[in-house]
Amino acid sequence: MQRDVGSLPLAPALRARLVAAGFQTAQELLDTGPCGLSKEIGISKEEALEALQVVRQECHSDATQTAGAPGTSRKCTALELLEQEQAQGFIITFCSALDNILGGGVQLTKITEICGEPGVGKTQLCMQLAVDVQIPECFGGLAGEAVFIDTEGSFMVDRVVDVATACVQHCQLIAEAHQEEDHLKALETFSLESILSHIYYFRCRDYIELLAQVYLLPDFLSEHSKVRLVVIDGIAFPFRHDFEDLSLRTRLLNGLAQQLIIIANDHKAAVVLTNQMTTRIGQSQSTLVPALAAAVPAKEAAIPAGGHCPNLHAG
Amino acid sequence: MAPKKLRRARLSQELCERLSRYQITTCQDFLCLSLLDLMKVTGQSYRNVQKLLCKVSLACAPKMQTAYEMKVRRAVNPSSAFLSTSLHGLDKVLHGGVPCGSLTEITSPPGCGKTQFCIMMSVLATLPVSMGGLDGAVIYIDTESAFSAERLVEIAGNRFPAYFDSDEKLFSMTRSIYLYRELTCGSVLKRIKSLEEEIISKKVKLIIIDSVASVVRKEFDTKLQGNLTERSNFLARGASLLKYLAEEFSIPVILTNQITTWLSNGLAIQADLVSPADDLCLSEGASGGGKRESGSVTAALGNTWSHSVNTRLILQYHDLPTRQILVAKSPVAPFSAFFYTVEKSGFVLQETDSE
Repeated sequence: MQRDVGSLPLAPALRARLVAAGFQTAQELLDTGPCGLSKEIGISKEEALEALQVVRQECHSDATQTAGAPGTSRKCTALELLEQEQAQGFIITFCSALDNILGGGVQLTKITEICGEPGVGKTQLCMQLAVDVQIPECFGGLAGEAVFIDTEGSFMVDRVVDVATACVQHCQLIAEAHQEEDHLKALETFSLESILSHIYYFRCRDYIELLAQVYLLPDFLSEHSKVRLVVIDGIAFPFRHDFEDLSLRTRLLNGLAQQLIIIANDHKAAVVLTNQMTTRIGQSQSTLVPALAAAVPAKEAAIPAGGHCPNLHAG
Repeated sequence: MAPKKLRRARLSQELCERLSRYQITTCQDFLCLSLLDLMKVTGQSYRNVQKLLCKVSLACAPKMQTAYEMKVRRAVNPSSAFLSTSLHGLDKVLHGGVPCGSLTEITSPPGCGKTQFCIMMSVLATLPVSMGGLDGAVIYIDTESAFSAERLVEIAGNRFPAYFDSDEKLFSMTRSIYLYRELTCGSVLKRIKSLEEEIISKKVKLIIIDSVASVVRKEFDTKLQGNLTERSNFLARGASLLKYLAEEFSIPVILTNQITTWLSNGLAIQADLVSPADDLCLSEGASGGGKRESGSVTAALGNTWSHSVNTRLILQYHDLPTRQILVAKSPVAPFSAFFYTVEKSGFVLQETDSE
């Protein structure tokens, strides 16, 4: 209640007038009431009412935060955090070597970055994850849905059909081996059509469409609350050309990264980004490094070309 | 494409006027500002600015489709998803042929048959759908002046003698192949930009650029400072334009590239005429960890370009006259290799015993 007027999220012009009129705390504003406010500042009664509603909402959310109400509180002990993290699921890939490297699978509420040379399998891995997030819970999966944001145009439906068919077959084999009731029931809804219908695909042609889509993602995820995976295939591609202003690029990328972290946390989803590799020409040697490094604090999985790649779902 | 103006994003007239005073006229300018900047220029509260952001984003964001809808759309028109190469083994591995809606790159040392492949594909694209073609025109952008109309007619006549039984049919096929000779990077880019209207008016179903590498490497010497970024910019811009055309019209785009040599210190030099007698093994993507073996060859134009193409086919010498075609990068096909020879009728695959 003692919140300073200058820190309230009002329109800047209105805020400036309030400060000039001598108001200092939010409580003063609330005590004055809309009619008094409109007379003193010289705005209409409706505008004054709107401003007071904003102030009231701000103060209310402040109060619940300091009171430590469950759900809005952001403070907890490390033990609680540990329990939360362990209870959280992973997106398994049915490929034990890969799951082991990642510590159980792709983690929820975290950003995972996959970088690698062209043709090494980044998009393949993303397509596989979009199918694997939908595996029913009785098989060890998350029974979630996936959002696939494609900036490079390498998403091939035919390949996803192959991967999905193989996944369904794999689950059927498990069900036959174990013969449990809930396995068979889950298999009824886990079919090729349902898998494909729950992959939401967006094709972003340039960085503006990508920015716009990420702004709209929180609303989309609130409507589709079962989404547990957001894949952005090719976060580097739209930013690598036509950008004379490199500081703008850094700012936009940092903004994107922050929004993605918020999305990952609020909606308990995993965010997977793929990055390109570029050659850094040094004095004596040139090395391959991920393009757009250090913009995103993420868990990195680099796939070396020619190295032994774990056996992914073959078509 | 020019960025979208704000009035088309359904913002109110007065707001647009106010923003134009700050030189913010397009959605691009609007979305690039931070929230505080937006509050300052619109003069609105935090919550209202968020609503405005949503409105502008809705105007710019792409439409959502589920993977299922995409599959159904493909299933409705299966023949239009690929351009068959008429090489049976290759088509099978690629799930139909050269995919429509994405970029396919053919790369090889000089003399392996890139231009022959391109000429063959031009003939195939003009064939009717019942014969595996796309029944449309072809735009052929030639930067090396390597296209030969006589060879085109020879391939057509020998490969499909039953179809091209009259001169009339041959001439109508040649009439639908539009050849453009572009000799500089700037003119190639300009030509690509003008293609959108041509595709609609001439009912084009295939775009071929032969070759991207020769014109780029003529103009950009990567040893000079600043040229590397300019080259990457040019390539990236060209690639995104071509991708847009490929996806918008659902047509295949074929590009050709050259082979280059990586020296031990990691800098690439232009390969001179690669002798077929050398047993060079192509290491696509090279060994991991950033360490390059001395003298290994790889596709030219760098990593950024390699990321931009969706499918990559490599041609290389084997025991003359047999050559080899490799599927090096493809979203649907595993790494596979076929032997072929170049004959009067174009490419002919050798049937191998081991299948």
